[in-house]
Amino acid sequence: MPCKICERKAEKELCGLHEEARSTLFRKYEVWRKSLNLSWTEYLQEIRKNAYAGLWVKEVASYLLASNRMSEQDVPRSSGVAMDKV
Amino acid sequence: MRTERTLILCEKPNTAQRVAKALDGYGKPREKRLDRVPFYEAERDGKELLVVPALGHLYTIAPKETDRNIYPVLDFDWIPRHAAERKAAETRAWIEAISKLSHEATEFILATDYDVEGETLGYTILKYACGSKEKDARRMKFSTLTTDELRTSFTHLADHIDFTTVEAGLCRHFLDALYGINLSRALTIAAKSWSGRFTVLSTGRVQGPALRFLVDREKKINSFVPTPFWSISAEVEINGSIFEVEYEREVIERRGEAQAIVEACRAKKGKITETEVKEIQQSPPLPFDLGALQTEAYSLFKFTPKMTGDIAERLYLEALISYPRTASQRLPPSINYVAIIESLSRSSEYNRLCAELLGMKQLVPREGARQDPAHPAIYPTGSLPERGLSGSERRLWDLVVRRFMAVFGEPCLKRTMKVCIAVDGHRFYLWGRRVLKEGWTVFYKSFLKAEEVLLPRLEEGQEVAIKRIELEDRFTKPPPRYNPSSLLKKMEEEGIGTKATRASIIDTLYNRGYVTEERAVVSELGFDVIDVLDKHCPEVISVGFTRELEKSMEKIQNGKERMETVINKAVTHLGPVLEKLKEHQEAVGQELSVAIRKAHMQRRMVGVCPICGVGKLMIMYSRQTGKQFIGCTGFFKGLCKASFPLPQTGNVEAARRSCRDCGWPMMRVHVKSRRAWTFCINQGCPSKGGRK
Repeated sequence: MPCKICERKAEKELCGLHEEARSTLFRKYEVWRKSLNLSWTEYLQEIRKNAYAGLWVKEVASYLLASNRMSEQDVPRSSGVAMDKV
Repeated sequence: MRTERTLILCEKPNTAQRVAKALDGYGKPREKRLDRVPFYEAERDGKELLVVPALGHLYTIAPKETDRNIYPVLDFDWIPRHAAERKAAETRAWIEAISKLSHEATEFILATDYDVEGETLGYTILKYACGSKEKDARRMKFSTLTTDELRTSFTHLADHIDFTTVEAGLCRHFLDALYGINLSRALTIAAKSWSGRFTVLSTGRVQGPALRFLVDREKKINSFVPTPFWSISAEVEINGSIFEVEYEREVIERRGEAQAIVEACRAKKGKITETEVKEIQQSPPLPFDLGALQTEAYSLFKFTPKMTGDIAERLYLEALISYPRTASQRLPPSINYVAIIESLSRSSEYNRLCAELLGMKQLVPREGARQDPAHPAIYPTGSLPERGLSGSERRLWDLVVRRFMAVFGEPCLKRTMKVCIAVDGHRFYLWGRRVLKEGWTVFYKSFLKAEEVLLPRLEEGQEVAIKRIELEDRFTKPPPRYNPSSLLKKMEEEGIGTKATRASIIDTLYNRGYVTEERAVVSELGFDVIDVLDKHCPEVISVGFTRELEKSMEKIQNGKERMETVINKAVTHLGPVLEKLKEHQEAVGQELSVAIRKAHMQRRMVGVCPICGVGKLMIMYSRQTGKQFIGCTGFFKGLCKASFPLPQTGNVEAARRSCRDCGWPMMRVHVKSRRAWTFCINQGCPSKGGRK
């Protein structure tokens, strides 16, 4: 199956490189939430325009926002904040 | 009776000219030519000398199996370069000339560069072109091409060439060919068998691990998620002057907390609670080895390591600096410090500095731990340029001269002052720096940044006003990209490649399209090559094994290991890897072909179409005329008909920047033997002033 973002070979929906970026993105949400009190969507929007965020991270953020995949399973469980509306 | 003639074999034509001039009793050797190949007849102490140049390596190692579609190849031979490389046709004349001249000689002296490559190329020429004279030849050893040193080395000839160094050199060439040819063939054949198109893909014993460093770093950068934090920026006023101060914590994790600090200190008065004065000594820098020279030249002048290596080589051939391919950080007294400095003082630029050095009681250089058995650290010979140097040559020579002087300097003495200011329970620090004694920095001033911060007289208990205090939104930064200089340093630290090969390996990564831009950005192709190798044969991009081989070659040079053992080890290591690649040829080919196609498409992309703003501009070819032009991808959907003409000669590529005047994409054109130029695709661009 090709990666939904870059069309590289992928086992699930994303290739290894974008999968790694996604897991970092999820892991770091907790830090952003505590520092800036952002919702998941706001976080993704911020990441997308941040100058220091990596290219693959931005691509994953755009993909998640564009594919409207903000369902419960996509938001990091540890966040403990109210979910955005889908 | 046959005249006694000594053939002196040099590495390059200008070395031969210098050697001949230095050795000829009257300093006027006769230049002759044999089929375009220059050589020199000289006379010294009644002996006739034939000084003959090579053209670098005249022989190369090549696989016995010449069909490029076959691998693995494990049998290699040394053959003339012209028989293996199309671009080396002129070496045929040189081999023939050396061969002819060797028949006239009764004695042989090798006077190539005194290092592994010099010894190896000399050995192969003596063996194959001169009729197995490698065992009879004696050796001139020198680190500079000055007349004095060349004469001394001619008087004190070594009885034979250095055979362990030769063995190490032959082994390195064999291993490079074994890995490079087999792995590159495996990748190229796999890609070709899948796509039917031929694209040269390469990897090698050192190239693979070097690319891996870049890929690993690129992955970290591309997957980087910054962490937000805040810092405080503040200034205080003391006796009417404004000074920047540092808040006690560099990182504040919560915005609210940082805001509270700002509010608490705004427009307040603070009190100096403590002043701490320290004196620090800064030792002179170490003499340059090649790696340090390349790093410094990159940081000061943005010269790539390869460029620095090439310029240094030219300066060596002009006898202006010592042999640059050295790992030594030592300057032995035998180079005669005083003579060099006295000689440099003839230049008005260095006259005053030289007088200062010559006025010192004793000249003792600061030295590092690293030694090179063949050469000292890089130093100026004292000779002044005989011709006008180019800008970059002049800068590099000046750097070597000033560094040489600086290593003899006294330590620089600085006083730092740290002042603690308490404001409402918060602490700020004010830093002052003052140079007490310039020491070695006098000689190296033009390459140092002035960093003095002079503070007024301050006392504990003194009040100071916070003039400005602000909150700064900050983010953690990704690790920096490697540049050619930091990659070279990394390779050096990891012990892969040699001082002579690292710079050209970095260049190859760029030439193959694995890496682009000055701050090495790995291309899709670079990622995919490492991906494929990692999946099917991670052993060949392992730094560990490459490092082990480098150490083995060092051992060969020191006579502690045999070439055969190392070669057997490498063949045993590589054999299964190649089998595996062959087994998975189809999968490897498919993955690489996709990457090549993507890279090819990427090269054709110019940018967003400025006409429709939706489609992308691309280099296209007309089906009717075959001519190249720029067209919008929107054309295929019937959305945009934008098209722009392109020159039909040379290599045209996107310049990856926008026009300053109109913001449209720029293109770059490379035409052979002309300087590349860029142009804006907009025919109505104001920069063209009405020209189309």
